[in-house]
Amino acid sequence: MRNSLGSIKRIGSYIKPYKIGFIVALLLTVICMFANALQPFIMGLILTEVGHNVADIANGVAGAAINFPYVIEIIIYMLIIALVYQITMYASAWLMTNVVQNTMRDLRADIDNKINRLPVSYFDKNQQGNILSRVTNDVDAISNAMQQSLIQIVNSVLGIVFAVGMMLVLSIPLALILIVTIPVSILISKFVVNKSQPYFKGQQKSLGELNGYVQESFSGFSVIKLYGKEADTLKEFKEINHRLASFGFKAAFISGIMMPLVGLVSNLGYIGVAVFGGYAVIQGTLTLGNLQAFTQYVWQINQPISQITQLSGVLQSAAAATGRVFEILDEPEEKPDQVQRPLPEKVEGNVSFEHVQFGYNKSNPLIKDLNVEVKSGQTVAIVGPTGAGKTTLINLLLRFYDVDQGAIKIDGIDTKEMSRADVRSQFGMVLQDAWLYNASISDNIRFGKLDATEYEVVDAAKTANVDHFIRTLPNGYDMILNQEASNISLGQKQLLTIARAVISNPKILILDEATSSVDTRLEALIQKAMKRVMEGRTSFVIAHRLSTIRDADLILVMDQGEIIEQGTHESLLAKGGFYEKLYNSQFSEEAE
Amino acid sequence: MKLMWNYTKKYKKLVFLNFICVFGFILIELGLPTILAQMIDKGIAQNDFEVVKRYGVLMLVICLIGLVALIFLAYCGSKITTGIVRDIRDDLFEKTQSFSHREYDQFGVSSLVTRTTNDAFQVMQFMQMILRMGMMTPLMFISSFIMIIRTSPSLSGVVFIAVPFLLVGVLIIGKKSEPLSEKQQANLDAINLNLRENLTGLRVIRAFVNEKFQESRFSKVNGNYTAVSKKLFKLMAFAQPGFSLIFNLLFACILWLGTIQISQNNLQVGQLIAFIEYIFHALFSFMLFANVFMMYPRAAVSANRIQEVLDTEAVIKENEDGVTETETHGYLTFENVTFAYPGNTETPVIRDVSFSSKPGETIAFIGSTGSGKSTLIQLIPRFYDVTRGRILLDGVDVRDYKLSALRQKIGFIPQKALLFTGTIAENMRYGKWNATTKELEEASDIAQAKEFISLKPKQFDELLAEGGSNMSGGQKQRLSIARAIVKKPDVYIFDDSFSALDYQTDANLRARLRDETLDATVLIVAQRVGTIMHADKILVLNEGEVVGSGTHQELLKTCDVYYDIASSQLSKEELA
Repeated sequence: MRNSLGSIKRIGSYIKPYKIGFIVALLLTVICMFANALQPFIMGLILTEVGHNVADIANGVAGAAINFPYVIEIIIYMLIIALVYQITMYASAWLMTNVVQNTMRDLRADIDNKINRLPVSYFDKNQQGNILSRVTNDVDAISNAMQQSLIQIVNSVLGIVFAVGMMLVLSIPLALILIVTIPVSILISKFVVNKSQPYFKGQQKSLGELNGYVQESFSGFSVIKLYGKEADTLKEFKEINHRLASFGFKAAFISGIMMPLVGLVSNLGYIGVAVFGGYAVIQGTLTLGNLQAFTQYVWQINQPISQITQLSGVLQSAAAATGRVFEILDEPEEKPDQVQRPLPEKVEGNVSFEHVQFGYNKSNPLIKDLNVEVKSGQTVAIVGPTGAGKTTLINLLLRFYDVDQGAIKIDGIDTKEMSRADVRSQFGMVLQDAWLYNASISDNIRFGKLDATEYEVVDAAKTANVDHFIRTLPNGYDMILNQEASNISLGQKQLLTIARAVISNPKILILDEATSSVDTRLEALIQKAMKRVMEGRTSFVIAHRLSTIRDADLILVMDQGEIIEQGTHESLLAKGGFYEKLYNSQFSEEAE
Repeated sequence: MKLMWNYTKKYKKLVFLNFICVFGFILIELGLPTILAQMIDKGIAQNDFEVVKRYGVLMLVICLIGLVALIFLAYCGSKITTGIVRDIRDDLFEKTQSFSHREYDQFGVSSLVTRTTNDAFQVMQFMQMILRMGMMTPLMFISSFIMIIRTSPSLSGVVFIAVPFLLVGVLIIGKKSEPLSEKQQANLDAINLNLRENLTGLRVIRAFVNEKFQESRFSKVNGNYTAVSKKLFKLMAFAQPGFSLIFNLLFACILWLGTIQISQNNLQVGQLIAFIEYIFHALFSFMLFANVFMMYPRAAVSANRIQEVLDTEAVIKENEDGVTETETHGYLTFENVTFAYPGNTETPVIRDVSFSSKPGETIAFIGSTGSGKSTLIQLIPRFYDVTRGRILLDGVDVRDYKLSALRQKIGFIPQKALLFTGTIAENMRYGKWNATTKELEEASDIAQAKEFISLKPKQFDELLAEGGSNMSGGQKQRLSIARAIVKKPDVYIFDDSFSALDYQTDANLRARLRDETLDATVLIVAQRVGTIMHADKILVLNEGEVVGSGTHQELLKTCDVYYDIASSQLSKEELA
């Protein structure tokens, strides 16, 4: 509970910039609910008067008649108050919509910006699906709760307050009868909520289990088929599903009892008002119209209470969502760049690793005292079995992670002393998992240089061997890549990422060679494009092809996160170490 | 609607009880004001407190009857809705288990997941609404109207005038909000897409120092979404005050006309009070019903998506009377097999492939992506059926087998190791449910998994998290191979399954496998020439056709495609 209070306060800080609108909306709501509370009373005035008139006529009082002018007057008042009610209601909803939607826009923007400032390690440590669900589903949950519940809760609370106020003005004893029903109702709802809580939890847990089971068995369906496990799987699914249904039933039933119970309390209030009010009218201490007004106040109190109880579920899950969202916003950000040394006018592209030590876990360094010297224009091949940690080098070069000890220098300047942006803008990167975004092809190439001209885009595409292919597409350069960029093939995507790297004209390249996902003809195109791009640039290539490795000026051999050997092809073969074994296993006959 | 109706049928009795119980609600809501009116006219107006008391007791009785009815209503509602969604899910899942690969391809795994979980949930929510509101509100509306007419037929005319206004209001708001909420949904999708892009492209975006650019893109979609949402909610906000205006005008008319009638002695004050309450209930239930109406399209979409799955029949069905036993074990023959994906018969992905193998033989397939090598081996366990030609396993056409018997003969190790939540032993027993511990140990030893299993604190009882996510790729791959070995199949099919293993393990594993598979046929699909050089026969595939077949040495001389592949992977000396 304390946590959710904290979350509400945090949300409050987002409302701050729009507080004028918020406060005015609240004031309007106060007027609105006051007008609403006046209505039954005013309507009651007519009934009282008419009731008196009727009684007078019946008793033969001289000149007794229905007081039509009075009735008209009150009806006009009634309509005016109603109009005030409607106008203030709309105006406050209008203002509140602006406040809520602006607030949510700011929250989403903050989260988006936060993603860009979190260290890369955060994303490596946390599951992508989990982060994604927080930034999408959870923010939606908050936004829905704010839009739908905020005004309703304010209305409900004010509605109850004003209704109670009006009742106290009309008749204190009768008001007391109804006021007693409020805490009783709240106690009952609390009791029921507590009783149903374990079942709701059980339901939530079983639902999670069901989702997990469905996900797992659908993605593994071919194995289930191969091993003929359909019947067993169905049996297990039914078990979980029926458990979910039984929890679901209990949760729904127990919480379903709440409404009639709370309803009973308010109905008892209604009966109390009718009987005691009837007595009071007979005694002459209460007017008939006020009795009628009271019966309407029962409604005005009962309605918001049941609304609040219904909203409590929505609010609880929204509070939980808020907590999760703020957890992300509270994550420590990437350390800001401290010293900023500007780069020389013309970067040569010499890269050196000097006594570099690094580990994802500081106490367990993967790389110890690494020294590598790369001259401008040289090609470095990084080889090793799958999972050897070849991405670690990329992480360090681009400062996605910082080295623990030692330094990586570009043209003799420690990259830690440059801004991250300066470091990264020296690099062009082509990864196997070709990331493209939902925009046109030319926009995607231009991602490498946002202000590139049409000419530059086409030129880069030509260098990357992809211009011809783009021209055969419907709409050519203006073709929009769909959400998963699945309307072009993987190899074609890779060519586009090469073009994107070309247009940024970097001094240093990082290339990830395709292994197998590409057909032979495209592979040759990619190979050629990569060669062309590497000319005159320092290149780090995660290499899978023999020719690349053999032509490299330097080979770094990695295994289990460590760089265990370095040298040229010939020198490493002569050494007869890990590289030789690896070379034989991948590119030659396996040893018997 | 058909779907919901079909599933509701099973609960006829409960639905009927539900229907009866709705009257309990109406009894309270309309009964209390009716009695109050009587109480005022017969008791209070006559200054007779005894009568007042008697009516009070009557109210109490109605409340208690109503309470019982409402509790039953909650019972029926919960029982029916949770029952229906349970039945729907059972049937959906059962259906998916009968599906073959074609249907999975057609729907997509993630879509099937959403259909079983989220869509079923949507239907349940709607059913809940229908059972409460959907039954209650029309009955309430009708009952209130009857009471209105009974109380004062002349006054009820005014109410009839108001109804078309309300109807038109609901329609206008519905019509106007529909395109807006569609647009809102589309914008929300755009926001989520953008966020997902930011996460998946994290490294690329940072490498190009384009954080600001991405932020500006996001702020554009974010702004669009906010603008549409504002429009939509402001439109919706119009509903309540708008309807309330109509209500108030109606009340004003009724009060005025009611007063006139009272002056003419046609109406009593208590009746007028009751009349106002009836109207209140009638109009309120009208608005609630409009709500149910607005919920319907969403639920209908979900119901249709579920129905679509239930209506789909698997192309490949269990052949109940099929062959279960064969005399020989491990003889495989492809006879002029041609295969095209359903709906794409123009361009077969496998063309006229023939070969045969016998126990102890290893046949390898190589070729670039799209050459059809993976598709080819998927025809053996009947993931798909051949379009022309036939595949014989131990002399029997695979289509003539009982499906489960056919698959029992095959050990298929997919490229991506798929394991399930449970212990290592449970996963390995997938291959043979009654395998002994000794058998498990043997299989894991052959698959080079024994060592890392013995390092786990609980060994074979070590729990695998969802999909085996607490294992490395190589470990998963080895467990998946061990699982197939436990089965002791007649045909081993390795679909590029050694890719995640390091050199030494790979070599050891294949050496041990050679001894294990003396009585079985082994098929290997590979990317690397090194993996398959020693196969008894290598088939080179290109665009679905066999363009070369023979041993490594033969192919180097006779097959250009093979030479191209080999030369990109092997050194000059090795090619000679």
